[in-house]
Amino acid sequence: MAIDTLRRALVFVVLCLVQALVFNHIHLFGCATILLYVYFVVMLPRNYPRWAGLLWSFALGLSVDMFTNTPGMAAAALTLTGFLQPYLLQLFLPREAPENLKSAASSLGFTKFLTMAFILVFIHCLVFFTIESFGFFNWQQWSLNIVGTTLLTVLLIMTLESFRK
Amino acid sequence: MKNLLAFITKYYHWLMLLLLETASGVMLFQYNSYQGSVWFTTANAVVGKVYEWDAAVRSFFLLTRVNEELTLRNFYLERQVSQLRRFYGDMTRDTTVLERQELEFLSQYKLIPAKVVSNTINKRDNFITIDRGEADGVERDMGVACGNGVVGVVYLTSAHYAVVIPVLNVTSSRISCAIRGRGYFGYLQWYGGDPSVAYVEDIPRHARFKRGDWVETSGYSSIFPSGILVGKIEKIYNSTDGLSYRLKVRLSTDFACLRDVTVISDKTIGEQLRLLEQVKDSITMAPK
Repeated sequence: MAIDTLRRALVFVVLCLVQALVFNHIHLFGCATILLYVYFVVMLPRNYPRWAGLLWSFALGLSVDMFTNTPGMAAAALTLTGFLQPYLLQLFLPREAPENLKSAASSLGFTKFLTMAFILVFIHCLVFFTIESFGFFNWQQWSLNIVGTTLLTVLLIMTLESFRK
Repeated sequence: MKNLLAFITKYYHWLMLLLLETASGVMLFQYNSYQGSVWFTTANAVVGKVYEWDAAVRSFFLLTRVNEELTLRNFYLERQVSQLRRFYGDMTRDTTVLERQELEFLSQYKLIPAKVVSNTINKRDNFITIDRGEADGVERDMGVACGNGVVGVVYLTSAHYAVVIPVLNVTSSRISCAIRGRGYFGYLQWYGGDPSVAYVEDIPRHARFKRGDWVETSGYSSIFPSGILVGKIEKIYNSTDGLSYRLKVRLSTDFACLRDVTVISDKTIGEQLRLLEQVKDSITMAPK
């Protein structure tokens, strides 16, 4: 359990730094930014305590926010994503799944994991960019941002997933 | 009571979601007015340190370009100074007065060199973090400039870092500026998009100027001394209400590779503010 928490904390720090120092500087075609930190939430296993999942996602969102001077933006979006993750995982469970099933392509199957990751990332992007565009609504830019970011992020998550054991 | 407890233990995650979302919402909507939130921004010591390391690595690879630019600018300015000095000498037959005036002018300001540790240019409201804070004498509302021109105004300070609102901030940046040599003034506003183009609003209709004129700070706001470069006029439009001109300005500062900046602290600002207060007091005290 302690080892698991430590490993999760390490992933937390790495994702946060990678997001802040690398991906926040990349904007492809003026609309697509990679929000890799959602991967953390996608990876939460089955029956992971709800409160811990929520706190993790809130803390990760807030840490990412600190680097971009937008306190509350990613935190709000990621908390909601973290809240929905267990319900989605429940939907995609294979028959006779073990109690603490890993949320990974190897245990869920490629298509199921892809669908789940896509839905979660999409929800996150939807909320994130809606909050960002508050008060200055440009729906074309808004929808482009959501579509571009979702596609790129899912692509990167699936690439990383293929390296994960 | 027992039912209530059972209800809470069963659905506690809903409550938690509500609580955390409320916390996010509060931070989101209060950030602009809430000074204590300096903890949740890049002025926070840990985040500042990480960005400082990052900036150290990045600036190493940018040094050549920055140097080149500075050398060019230096050359240009030196030529200008020598030319002006020659003209002035010709006119007055006195060659030392200019140097004296220059020193006098600069002694009014304290210049604090700082390094940019984090910077964005692709959002609507961009912020810059610099590695100097209260301990180095940086305070809120001080002006920030770099070798090529104006950068922004200090917004939040912690002990060793400060957050600057640059020109590239749609909501909060309004820097007073004037057309060089003509004196007409307006304010600088950026509308998002291209980080090298901004607009000067409120230039009066009777003003005479032309494309290619330089825009500089006006010195009216007491944040910046007058004469700091802003950019070159590229296009002239009518404002939406038709009462003034709007100038499209090519900014002289390259925000995309900003490394070394200078915080300008005006020693006379306290005096100016006191005087303004006195004026206000005397007007309200005056018998009607």
